[in-house]
Amino acid sequence: MSDIPTGSISIEDLENVQITIGKVVGAIEKKASDEGIEVGPTPKPGISTLRDWDYKLLSRYQPVYTPVCDQCCYCTFGKCDLSGNKEGACGINMEGHQAREFMLRVITGAAAHAGHGRHLLHHLIHLHGRDHPIDVGPSNLLAPNIQAVTGIKPETIGDLEEVMDYVEEQLTQLLATVHAGQEGSAMDFESKALHGGMLDHVGMEVSDIVQISCMGMPKSDPEAPLAEIGMGCIDSTKPVLLVIGHNVAGVTNIIDYLNDHDLSDKVELAGLCCTAIDMTRYQMDKGGKPYAKIVGSLAKELKMIRSGVPDVIVVDEQCVRADVLAESKKLSIPVITTNEKIMYGLPNRTNSSPESIIEDLSSGREAGALILDYDLLAEVSTELTIKMSKIRDEMGIKALPNEEELREIAARCVQCGACEMDCPDNLPIMAAMKAGAEGDFTKFEYLHDKCIACGRCDQACPKEIPILNIMEKASQKLIREEKGYMRAGRGQISDPEIREEGVNLVFGTTPGIIAMVGCSNYPDGTKDLYTVADEMLKRNYIVLMSGCSAMDLGMYKDEYGQTLYEKYPSKFLAGNLINVGSCVSNAHITGAAIKVAAIFAQRQVAGNYEEIADYITNRIGAVGVAWGAYSQKASSIATGCNRLGIPVVVGPHGSKYRKALIGKPYDEDTWKVYDARDGSEMPIPPSPEFLLTTADTIEELLPMLAKNCIRPSDGNLGRMIKLTHYIEMSQKYLGQMPDDWYKFVRGETDLPIAKREELLKILEKDYGWEIDWKRKKIISGPAMKLDISSQPTNVKRLCKEGC
Amino acid sequence: MADEFPFEISPMFEGERIRKEGMYVELAGPKSKGFELVRAVEMGEVEDGKFTLIGPDIQDMEEGSRHPLAMIYKIAGELVEADLESIVERRNHEFQNYIQGLMHLNQRYDIWLRISKDAVNKGMTSFEQIAKAIMMLFKNELSFIEKVEAIYITDLDEIEKEIGNATEIYKARDERTRNLHDEDVDTFYGCTLCQSFAPTNVCVVSPDRVSLCGAINWFDGRAAAKVDPEGPQFAIPKGELIDAESGEYTGINEAAKKLSSGEYDRIKLHSFFDCPHTSCGCFEVVGFYIPEVDGIGWVDRDFPGTAPNGLQFSTMAGQTGGGKQVIGFLGIGIHYFRSPKFIQADGGWNRVVWMPKLLKDKVYDDIPEEIRDKVATEEDVADVESLKAFLKERNHPVLERWVEEEEEEVPEEEKAPGTLPQAGFAVPQMMQAANFMPSMPMMSGGGSGGVRIVLKNAKVSIDKVIIKKED
Repeated sequence: MSDIPTGSISIEDLENVQITIGKVVGAIEKKASDEGIEVGPTPKPGISTLRDWDYKLLSRYQPVYTPVCDQCCYCTFGKCDLSGNKEGACGINMEGHQAREFMLRVITGAAAHAGHGRHLLHHLIHLHGRDHPIDVGPSNLLAPNIQAVTGIKPETIGDLEEVMDYVEEQLTQLLATVHAGQEGSAMDFESKALHGGMLDHVGMEVSDIVQISCMGMPKSDPEAPLAEIGMGCIDSTKPVLLVIGHNVAGVTNIIDYLNDHDLSDKVELAGLCCTAIDMTRYQMDKGGKPYAKIVGSLAKELKMIRSGVPDVIVVDEQCVRADVLAESKKLSIPVITTNEKIMYGLPNRTNSSPESIIEDLSSGREAGALILDYDLLAEVSTELTIKMSKIRDEMGIKALPNEEELREIAARCVQCGACEMDCPDNLPIMAAMKAGAEGDFTKFEYLHDKCIACGRCDQACPKEIPILNIMEKASQKLIREEKGYMRAGRGQISDPEIREEGVNLVFGTTPGIIAMVGCSNYPDGTKDLYTVADEMLKRNYIVLMSGCSAMDLGMYKDEYGQTLYEKYPSKFLAGNLINVGSCVSNAHITGAAIKVAAIFAQRQVAGNYEEIADYITNRIGAVGVAWGAYSQKASSIATGCNRLGIPVVVGPHGSKYRKALIGKPYDEDTWKVYDARDGSEMPIPPSPEFLLTTADTIEELLPMLAKNCIRPSDGNLGRMIKLTHYIEMSQKYLGQMPDDWYKFVRGETDLPIAKREELLKILEKDYGWEIDWKRKKIISGPAMKLDISSQPTNVKRLCKEGC
Repeated sequence: MADEFPFEISPMFEGERIRKEGMYVELAGPKSKGFELVRAVEMGEVEDGKFTLIGPDIQDMEEGSRHPLAMIYKIAGELVEADLESIVERRNHEFQNYIQGLMHLNQRYDIWLRISKDAVNKGMTSFEQIAKAIMMLFKNELSFIEKVEAIYITDLDEIEKEIGNATEIYKARDERTRNLHDEDVDTFYGCTLCQSFAPTNVCVVSPDRVSLCGAINWFDGRAAAKVDPEGPQFAIPKGELIDAESGEYTGINEAAKKLSSGEYDRIKLHSFFDCPHTSCGCFEVVGFYIPEVDGIGWVDRDFPGTAPNGLQFSTMAGQTGGGKQVIGFLGIGIHYFRSPKFIQADGGWNRVVWMPKLLKDKVYDDIPEEIRDKVATEEDVADVESLKAFLKERNHPVLERWVEEEEEEVPEEEKAPGTLPQAGFAVPQMMQAANFMPSMPMMSGGGSGGVRIVLKNAKVSIDKVIIKKED
């Protein structure tokens, strides 16, 4: 066998020979033409392909940088001080470096999702074969992001390999530009960041499509089941197996093992972060009740470990704390790593026998193991959990201090303030300590809700007070009551759903789509999410959730004891609340926008990214909110939305992105587009006002959301409803009429119906508009007129020929 | 803002539900009586803004009690006419729900209202406040209303006196709607509301054809065009009748040409094949031609399975939309099944061969009796072959269309089973016979077609050979 040489060989006799051709150049175009689909001008765009589009966006929404650090420390020519317009050793300036740093964050996030997607794809092709069909629900457009970007219309999971090849190649090209001494233009780094964000949505889509198709996850299912969530729903009397991370591949083997061995009611399987979301989707496409329970988002990770409840911890990849092993060791919890991205220095036991691994881990000889074979993982983790539960019981593991100790520890505090300085939210820890020393721990309960359990306070304390443990112990009652429901991720929005909602979108009775994405660390605790979602849902917006935000939303209940997931239906309809799924399911949010363009305007999707983005920019009133933005993935998701013209608001922590993309409402020249009917210029309202910006409080956020759902192509009813919500929320939350509401008025029918007369009076008096009072009509004043048939576009080539 | 009322008015309260515990008073509803009625009258018969209450007011009602309620609005104006009454009446439902603390369900004599305790505590103590708010909204939204007056009745005897009259009016209205056909009017309405999303679509709304989305009927179009003749709904003068059967009018053709920027110059209202109406994206049902039986199938959004042609709703819908005339597919609103002119150019119901069960049930009463059991559903047939058999067995009228073809088809069918497998097996045989002519069954994708490569003086280069032990 090993005698085959490289180089030319001649074969004497060909008999029963099979020639497999891996790749045919030009195959996309050929396949598409065979199927009667045209491919647009930009299949598999390179870094420069969509640059013109990016520059169009960036000329209206200019980057604003607020660097936290004035230096560049990327190479040993430096570090270089870039303050005061100085250039670094490689010639880069502050703007260029900030844009580069941002791009690096974006491609880091994109790589996390793409790496995840590639891993799942390998794994599931190995299990199901390349020809396993893609099945994500009753849709014609199965992979909107993939099709729009690459031009490939995948039908089997094998077809996704070529898509991943493309994403990986582009990410490599982007990463290469970070090297010292290359790109000097901040604008081009911004364009590259947008490219990376777009790639992220392709990578995410691959990940979720392949797992939905192969793992029996809900397929565009509005009736996806409700899953239990919260630290309080974990039954700690049973052996508890805790899984943490984002990649559910190995966990599915654990679930199968538990089912096959009749252990499902004997072992408590709990999850943190997106692995938890995805394990409640596993095999739920035919309905049923998810067996696995969700502890919560990344912010519950340290709290859950420190509670001492888990008997074994299994981690996979992405949002997993780097100190899981160190923390677990202290409480005799064995840790199993299962993915090459996280190995914690543990020995690779993939080829060991289950018995020997269980023996080594249960005896404490080893703190953990790396196991890359999932059947082995399933057996070892389950059996070890059962064994460890007994052992840890007998050892009398005590995780948290008792009441008496609490007081003593609190009394050690010298009120130096180091903890508060290091707390990302500057929580009032000192005051809680002071009260605690006197036996009053209620202040810690308040902290518990707002704390994201990053553990930096523990590190900062010169007296080595385990602050997090005190908080957790003091909040035991609250934690026991932490029980909620989250609707299991439903996957894509199906084509028929988009059609059904079409009437509302066209009439404007759905004032907009709000996508709440990203990680924890909200400025005022997780309740913020509930307040925002509830307000928008009451106002008939469609609210889409994903990832950590989707989990955190399920933790709050109304006065009737219902979570929002129980209160609001979950179709893609006005006033509905949808959980698309885990972090990688975010691709379905942009996917829904692409579908609107494909379905209502019959825009060609394949390889036609710019035209689709242009359509979305001018027509689809969607705004993303990353209220607690935290990870690099959140920035790549947001940037991918941006390239499609979907604006994103981040919370105060998101300002650490150090960048915003903000329009200038006062600069009228930037608020113009072409009318595709004849290529003439037409003015548009200044909305969305930004592509990326920050809000400090939800009071500021809510009116902002309403305003930025306004689009140039709104009909009068739609504009009237959007304007109503903008004015109402501004009055409700900021106590005043917004100062720019009149800019969105094209005629009297755009005015909120209940306030029409009053607003006409203001327009006449304060803005000098002419009103025909008999007919209650505006005669003159508006900067633009309502023409429902106008076809706003930013792209000249899309205008009718001859113009 | 809106300080004159002790309550908020906003579309955000539309979905507000008032539960029993939070309810101050219940009005009309299944356990009481009531109705709502809008009447178009002469200018002289209305005193603008006047409110009359017959019976007790909110403040006189006991907490937790139930009372009857009738609401009558008289409207007048130069453009006001009886045909607009139902449109204004429907707004009463919508606008009352805008009021915080007021819940309005159903319509006509089925109305059911609740007022919340919170609202009463905040000062909603009189029906006059509600009526004034509604009258204000009527005039703001529907500018053809120049004068409006409201009469609310909470006295049971008075309501019983009036309710018969109201029922008569509803009946007469329904009668008019049912009996109003394309030939009875000289104006149709165009709707371009969709163009904000589907740039080239134009809906033509006639008495016998509602908009594709099902949301705009001829009366809605008429009302909207009166409010704003230059708005997204506008009059299309019918023009000359070209063909009554297919519903072709010069006025529509002219409008089509203008509104599609020259893309289309003929639209026939009731035709499936020839110059059909364009389809936007929101259509509820897609019709599709099944050539094998020369019939038309219909599939709706909610049907998750595949139609006899092997395609799903979403696949066919994908070919249909975008404001284009697509021959062989047609998007419609469910209401159109109820039209007496339903695709009459192409045989109407006599051409309909398949529908999903739930859709068929929904429109069952509108299917002509003699066809009802001849339209197959997914419960009857799975594919075109079984559909054929079903239609034959039930003697579907579409059979008349394929008598001649059938004779030709039968021998072909008999031939087919014999020849097909042979063709399939021929491939490997050929491979062995011809020297150095390997053909590749692997690439043939299930027996048909495939690629045959002739290798002569060829070089095969392989990038990488991976040698793996077999598992």
